[in-house]
Amino acid sequence: MPPRTAPIIRGLLLVVATAAWAADPAGVAFFEQKVRPVLAENCYECHSAGAKKIKANLLLDSKAGWEKGGDSGEPALVPGQPERSLLIRSIQHVDDDLQMPPKKPKLPDAVIADLVTWVKMGAPDPRDGAPLAARRADKSWWSLQPVPPLDATKTVDDFITAKLAENGLALGAAADPRTLIRRMSYDVTGLPPTAAEVAAFTAAYQRDADNAVRELADRLLASPHYGERWGRHWLDVTRFGESNGFERNFVIDDLWPFRDYVIRSLNEDKPFDRLITEHLAGDVVGKGDPAVEVASAFLVAGPYDDVKNQDVAATANIRAATLDDIITATSGAFLGLTFNCARCHNHKFDPIPTEDYYRLRAAFEGVTHGRRVVASEAERAAFAAATAEPNRRKTKLTAEIEALNRAVQLRAKAELTRRPAARPKIDPQLTEERFAPVEARYVKFVIHAFTGAPRGQRPASGRLVEFEVWSAGEGSRNVALARNGGRAEGARSAVADDFPEAYGPQVVIDGEFGEQWFIGSPAELTITLAQTETIERIAFSNAKGRNISEGNARGETPCEYEVQVSLDGKAWRTVADSVDREPWTPAHGIERLRREVITPEEEAALAALNRDLAQVQRELNAVPKLRQVWAGIYVPEPERTFVHQGGDPMKPAAPVPPASLAVLDRVTAAYQLPPETPESERRLALARWITQADNPLTPRVLANRVWQYHFGTGIVDTPSDFGFLGGRPSHPELLDYLAARLVQGGWRIKALHREILLSCTYRQGTAYRAEAAKVDKDARLLWRFPPRRLSAEELRDTVLEVAGKLDRSMGGPGFRLYKFTQNNVCTYFPLDRHGPETYRRAVYHQNARASVVDVLNDFDLPDIAFAAPRRANTTTPLQALTLLNHSFTLDMAQAFAGRLSGDPAAQIVQAYAFAFQRQPSPKEVAAGTALIAAHGLPAFCRALLNANELIYLE
Amino acid sequence: MMTRPLDYTRRHFLGQMTTGLTGVALSGLFTREMLAAAARPPHFAPKAKQVLQIFCPGAASHLDLWDHKPMLEKFDGTPMPGGETEVTFQGKNGNLMKSPWPFAPAGRSGKMISTLLPHLAPHVDDMAFIHSMTSRTNTHGPGCIAMNTCFPREGFPSAGAWLSYALGSLNDNLPTYVAIQDLRGEPPNGKANWGNGFLPAQHQGVAIAAQQPLRNLARPAAIDEREDRATRAFLEQINAEHAAAHPGSDELRARMEAYELAARMQLTAPDVCDLSREPAHVHALYGTNDANKLKAAYARNCLLSRRLLEKGVRYVSLYCASRASAVDGLLNWDAHKTLRADYDRHAPIFDQPTAALLADLKQRGLLQDTVVLWCTEFGRMPTHQEGTAGRDHNPDAFTTWMMGAGVRGGVSHGATDDFGRRSVQDVATVYDFYATVLHLLGLDHEKLTYYHNGAARRLTDVHGHVLKSILT
Repeated sequence: MPPRTAPIIRGLLLVVATAAWAADPAGVAFFEQKVRPVLAENCYECHSAGAKKIKANLLLDSKAGWEKGGDSGEPALVPGQPERSLLIRSIQHVDDDLQMPPKKPKLPDAVIADLVTWVKMGAPDPRDGAPLAARRADKSWWSLQPVPPLDATKTVDDFITAKLAENGLALGAAADPRTLIRRMSYDVTGLPPTAAEVAAFTAAYQRDADNAVRELADRLLASPHYGERWGRHWLDVTRFGESNGFERNFVIDDLWPFRDYVIRSLNEDKPFDRLITEHLAGDVVGKGDPAVEVASAFLVAGPYDDVKNQDVAATANIRAATLDDIITATSGAFLGLTFNCARCHNHKFDPIPTEDYYRLRAAFEGVTHGRRVVASEAERAAFAAATAEPNRRKTKLTAEIEALNRAVQLRAKAELTRRPAARPKIDPQLTEERFAPVEARYVKFVIHAFTGAPRGQRPASGRLVEFEVWSAGEGSRNVALARNGGRAEGARSAVADDFPEAYGPQVVIDGEFGEQWFIGSPAELTITLAQTETIERIAFSNAKGRNISEGNARGETPCEYEVQVSLDGKAWRTVADSVDREPWTPAHGIERLRREVITPEEEAALAALNRDLAQVQRELNAVPKLRQVWAGIYVPEPERTFVHQGGDPMKPAAPVPPASLAVLDRVTAAYQLPPETPESERRLALARWITQADNPLTPRVLANRVWQYHFGTGIVDTPSDFGFLGGRPSHPELLDYLAARLVQGGWRIKALHREILLSCTYRQGTAYRAEAAKVDKDARLLWRFPPRRLSAEELRDTVLEVAGKLDRSMGGPGFRLYKFTQNNVCTYFPLDRHGPETYRRAVYHQNARASVVDVLNDFDLPDIAFAAPRRANTTTPLQALTLLNHSFTLDMAQAFAGRLSGDPAAQIVQAYAFAFQRQPSPKEVAAGTALIAAHGLPAFCRALLNANELIYLE
Repeated sequence: MMTRPLDYTRRHFLGQMTTGLTGVALSGLFTREMLAAAARPPHFAPKAKQVLQIFCPGAASHLDLWDHKPMLEKFDGTPMPGGETEVTFQGKNGNLMKSPWPFAPAGRSGKMISTLLPHLAPHVDDMAFIHSMTSRTNTHGPGCIAMNTCFPREGFPSAGAWLSYALGSLNDNLPTYVAIQDLRGEPPNGKANWGNGFLPAQHQGVAIAAQQPLRNLARPAAIDEREDRATRAFLEQINAEHAAAHPGSDELRARMEAYELAARMQLTAPDVCDLSREPAHVHALYGTNDANKLKAAYARNCLLSRRLLEKGVRYVSLYCASRASAVDGLLNWDAHKTLRADYDRHAPIFDQPTAALLADLKQRGLLQDTVVLWCTEFGRMPTHQEGTAGRDHNPDAFTTWMMGAGVRGGVSHGATDDFGRRSVQDVATVYDFYATVLHLLGLDHEKLTYYHNGAARRLTDVHGHVLKSILT
């Protein structure tokens, strides 16, 4: 890592300020007597290196400071022209909005006159030592400057060797062919080469090394696995995750088309200016073309909070956070700047005004999370054609059924008025049924309807807190109670896998008015008593906490029912029912009587109609649905956007139009749209601006990502932050060269890969040289190729490949290495066994947020709350435990063993070919043979799958 | 702990990106020699070395547990002045509602505490209450992660991860940071509560509970011990030869060390988690055999917490209750509609085992080095939720407490208004809370930083003041 410019302290500055001021001794004397004291007393508090907080990024304690100016971007002084000098104007209080010093009386007129004189003199200033080390970036920041024109005479190696030479270093010796093909295969496709490929390449390399490398690069870049490997990188950059995160974290099953889009686009070498445009406005530029439309799923691939909130301020904050994710993802992925840091105030380190943040928001103001149909016009037309006829029949049948039902209901209603109820309606707090004493071993509560709606109208969500069965005679007791030996059975309508007892029927006989049974279908409760009892009463309640004022029934309570008893559990007898109770609602009463008044003819007609309806429905279901994709829903005319004061959405300040970002307005053409611009045009305009050929950030950021994924570290080691807090480029000219190449090559990255892969820099070995390490420990200057650990995906894919189990089928819905329960929220549990359906490449794993799957997350697969433009690389004992003991390793060791034949020595030779594509040494054969003899082949295979040689790549 | 921009990339390399030995040694889990080499001293002399965090998710009501409001009792059933039109998380609110459980003075300090917590009451003299907490969110998931990470969204490191990063491990054979979830399941927002965020993965909380051992710890049943040993010996041999052929690759050595440490963890962790080693009277004290299965399960986790702390686990997060269920307040403290029934269910699970844990820690002298934090994500309304006998969410007021190393007992910081609707005196935030925790561990919360995606991130974001009034 080359050292950065250290902050230079003021004292040093004064010492080095020497030579220049001899030229104008009178001017300098004037400055020292009349100007410096004024500046020091009135300005330095906010405008010097020693300031606690530098305001407006303006420094007045050096000549360089005022020459450069502050956030305005203009010099603070124009020598000779006080009327054009911002500093003078501000102390003269010429403009209402710029009056210095702030919150203090205006400086005395004599003082102001002195400063004006000084500027007229040409502002002689002796403080012209080394310019101050900036504490933040301004518009002269390196990454915001135009990319210089391409120097086509140069090569990647030129830049690297020059920098090495500056540091007294040189490239290492070329890697051997086996190392090189292993490196390139993993690098380009994420998979190891086969032993045969290694052998063939080695032979070709010995004939003509350059040609062999060229052919290898071309072959690998043409492989469909290239898109899987580099698509996975891009999914990290775009914070792609397949659940919504936050509290509910529901799994999203229809976001995978975006993953396939990314893989496909990379394989096609789609120009990145187009790819970025499609990410931001695929629905606009690709309307009617599903292959492009899915791209805008980028916008909604991040986490978002979908918990409903009645609190207005909270809702506004949630919406602001939702858009913040889109703004952060967009600016980080494409522009490499942290615009999100300007949400509450101007960026503290980069020249990004708050308004830029809200200009981005204005572009995305109409974006909401959700799924929509993504289909071509032809698909839509075909679907409409296929469903038109059945839908017509469905409408007709539905109308006929309704008419018939209405007629029956009218008669039932008339009947209801003739039958006054003998007993009151049920009470959800407590309802009792008494009957003549009867012997029973079993009691069944058969529920026909709940208080919510009469039977048949909609699915019920009935609940019950307690159900009692009382014995007859003296000392009557509740014989249903679990503690009296009762047992309850019945279906549940809800489950919570991590809390198996939840919602079950056992809670109705626990004697406590706490939890509820969520009644499933069939709606029946069967109580088995400890022994046959003579009973005469049942009671049920749906009130939590009976006998206290707060006891409210929740959910729907059974209101139409029968109570049946049995001695053997087979023959049942009804002892009580609800038919003579006042119905819960008239509709319940009508439904109850409906059965009595309906004629056999009507019943037959209804049955026939329902049969026909079911048939039509089957036909409709048989028509393949138009595909829905989690690609966002767009509100064409969104609300106006305002700057939020301090980031508080309840404090809207100045309105903000959809417009280009001020941070780049000096280097690339700006735009501003009217506030009422439809939202699709806003996103498209932003995309076009981001991909303008003279936008200096987009190609630099992209070229740096490509470099990083080849060499492990980018030229800028903070790939999504090219601002002040980010790293400085280790090879700035190389970065500009690559950026210019990228744009010149039509934004296609395969050409960039090719140039890098063919370079001597890439083809060198990993040999360690202590004297080089002393100068550059981490090999940022690339005196060797930096070795690396395989990524989580590469490791799992490799284990599968070595075991002969890798399923290379591409695309489509992902597989899961977790199971999950979805109650009010989703909970994820890593799987202990991985079946063959999981043997696909790990890029097809459905990565739900916060799911934590040991075999992948242990090896630094990020939990994708944010973009992960660079993965962590850790070494932990948990990795060892997982790779040694998870059943996946054991399964793969078995499968691996199954591929090996012959005597142990032959098996070892084959195993080394599969795992490492090399011959084992005699010593390795001896050790392996001993292990196999004592403990069998799978033990040996388990060890190889854990070997450093498998997981570290040279 | 960097303070200047200049250090960002250096730190970056050491902590986040490197594959080299130095970086690995900074991880929470590594060998004794490496840890010694990379000893990470705090910024100043610490008062505490370990943390036990007890978290009651679901927004445990300050008004029904810790924050006594006589005016709420007096004006029970009347409209809250100025509160008639308030719309909170689930909607409108009704009249003021006093706590169904009376408060009573406890301890020598006479601190008023709910009679719902009879076992915890005697501990008030050791507790420092922070009655004036506020949250930025009124939603459980974001609230829980904010109470753990200071940010109401995912992706940020939890306090335990920060401490793992800052201070490292006290016992190289156990994880540095352990999260113990409740038998009923994960808290709202699940694993993000003990996530490492953007810190390296080794700083994440490792999920262990009495009901759920560390994943992949045990040797597979199908492999006998001799085979396992021989396989690993062979692996070590081929790794050693490979490393010898690749000088200067520290990471190869590091990975071999990781396998050795894994083997030691396999010996140590089951012992620590084996509660049967505890005598019967200790089990009785905690209530591990209680007829209430949920209480017994939580009690076992309390006992496990003590054993982990005893063995030097740096940060233990212990959860009492779980996520939001389809029924509010069933699985956690989210008493929207039936406060009394809900807390009659939750409090007995929480009270005795927690009290036993505190007593046990104190009696064994573990509170000399351990600070105990009691947390929940926000508070509840003093009114009842319209049409119910429960309370809606209240991010404007809630209570937390601390006790143990460096904490003054029997004191209260800040206060809510007469009804407990809002924090009004010495208003505190989660930033203040963790500034104080870091201070107790010898860390300046403004200096503990980590570069991520364009910012030098802190646990306390850009806020936080140490709550000096509760420190010894």
